[in-house]
Amino acid sequence: MRLVFSMIGKRITQLLIMFLLLSFITFVLMKLTPGDPVRTILNVEDVSTTTAQEELIKQQYGFDRPILIQYGEWLSNVVQLDLGESIIAKQPVLQLIINRLPASVALTIGGLVALLVIAVPFSVLAAIYENKWPDYLCRGVAIIGASIPSFWLGLLLIFFFSLQLNLLPVMGRGTLAHYILPSVTLGMAMAPVYIKLLREQLIDILQSSYIESAIARGIPRWRILLFHAIRGSLIPLVTMFGLSIGSLLGGITVIEMLFSWPGMGELIVNAVTQRDYPLIQGYIIVVGSLVVFINLLVDLITMLINPQIMQEARRAQ
Amino acid sequence: MKDQLISIEHLFVTLNGSHQPLLEDVNLTIKMGEMVGLIGESGSGKSLTSRAVTGLLPKEMRVSGRISYGGNNLLELSDKERYKQLGIKIGYIFQDYRGSFTPFIRIGKQMTETIRTHIKLTKKQSEQLAREVLNEVGLEDKTIYHRFPFQLSGGQIQRAAVAMTLALKPELIICDEMTTALDVITGEKVLNYLAKVQKETGCAVLIITHDLAQAYKHTNRIYVMQQGRIVEEGLSEEVRCHHKHPYTKKLCSCLLALPGEDLITTASQVMVK
Repeated sequence: MRLVFSMIGKRITQLLIMFLLLSFITFVLMKLTPGDPVRTILNVEDVSTTTAQEELIKQQYGFDRPILIQYGEWLSNVVQLDLGESIIAKQPVLQLIINRLPASVALTIGGLVALLVIAVPFSVLAAIYENKWPDYLCRGVAIIGASIPSFWLGLLLIFFFSLQLNLLPVMGRGTLAHYILPSVTLGMAMAPVYIKLLREQLIDILQSSYIESAIARGIPRWRILLFHAIRGSLIPLVTMFGLSIGSLLGGITVIEMLFSWPGMGELIVNAVTQRDYPLIQGYIIVVGSLVVFINLLVDLITMLINPQIMQEARRAQ
Repeated sequence: MKDQLISIEHLFVTLNGSHQPLLEDVNLTIKMGEMVGLIGESGSGKSLTSRAVTGLLPKEMRVSGRISYGGNNLLELSDKERYKQLGIKIGYIFQDYRGSFTPFIRIGKQMTETIRTHIKLTKKQSEQLAREVLNEVGLEDKTIYHRFPFQLSGGQIQRAAVAMTLALKPELIICDEMTTALDVITGEKVLNYLAKVQKETGCAVLIITHDLAQAYKHTNRIYVMQQGRIVEEGLSEEVRCHHKHPYTKKLCSCLLALPGEDLITTASQVMVK
């Protein structure tokens, strides 16, 4: 238990360092990118405005002050859980994110479930029948899956399951049925890499001496596969998931837009196109913290799957 | 012939696509309650012979001949029927002790899993049996039962592997170079435990080793293998003192060049005491 607390402590320290670096870099970069937030605030992109009007807005929002002071002010507010107010929506950023975050997290979990349902059977089949037709079939499916863009895959699924067969809803979020198409699209988009990784891991493990020992003890093959082989091959899979969670949270934006999913995708796309700095900044901080938190969870799960890692962590302490 | 437990007759093992056999006309018998040694240098085909008995040969190898066990020719049985013999009738202890157990599952859990696969027992009964056999091989069940394999020393793991094999009371235990990866004293201790349990249960043991001193000390009969063939067989004492084949002579001369047999025996006796 002490080890777990120490790990959490380390991760919180990492989170703080990451938070400072990430927030500062994004703050500075956003100020340097083309586009004027003042014109966005005035809502007059194509109409000429007076300098006095612009100066007033700059003073009001603090854009006329040095960048470090602007950052310092923003940071002191963040410490008090105030991420500022959205320039466009005129609502607190934290509130806007909290309203949308659950839908995105739910979709991510749905995608993860779909990923497991797709990747595990395919890779197990490919590993058991290595270099036989089921293996070639699974590898073929993985290659085709990797070369299909997720938005097109989503469109195909909508076409067949919603428009042709009328089985599932096209868009929105409400019932469990609404989750199926976006989750499957997300899962299928991620599956090829995981199928390849899990297949190779399983092939290695199935040839290992501990599997041979289990066979020699007469343990049923299904038990060996499920409790000895698949469990062993999950470790790199979980680690990889932890590493790719950041890109996954970014990647679901396309799927959210495609299925009109009320997640953070639409929110952040609008914020970027309209230079809504407080919202972009808040989004980056929340997603960044989420990534660190999920990585902590991944570390704990990895230790549960493979206690040897826990022993090594103990020794390292 | 009546008390014969297993009989290997004219066994050939060939790699697919090759005409050169890896095992050539191997004949070997083991009687009930006997400890038989199979000796020879690395690559002589000892492990291949034992794997042919258990059906653990790689898929790319072809086997022919006859392995009579329990009135059946094992080579004619289906994979499923052969698989049923593993663990409960034929126990196997491997050389690589780190691979004897799945690294991320506790020793106790793996033992009960093995026991309950073959014997109809409740979880509690199987735990009790696992603890008993751990104690029998000189391990403290209170600590070992809940440990992971990587938390044990090589000697402890091998003894736990012996315990797990013994829990099922198989008629034949195949020990494939089980002490090679251990230090001399620990290896000797593990073999002494095996000999003790063998006497108590009356099972047959096939000890595969390239350590002649070990084979002489612990077995009743010895088979000598060279390049996939049995070149000599006989009682341990006979093979030791009246060997006929030049290869056995060569092996024995290597043994004589080593100073340690008596020392090993003495040291292990001290350790056991």
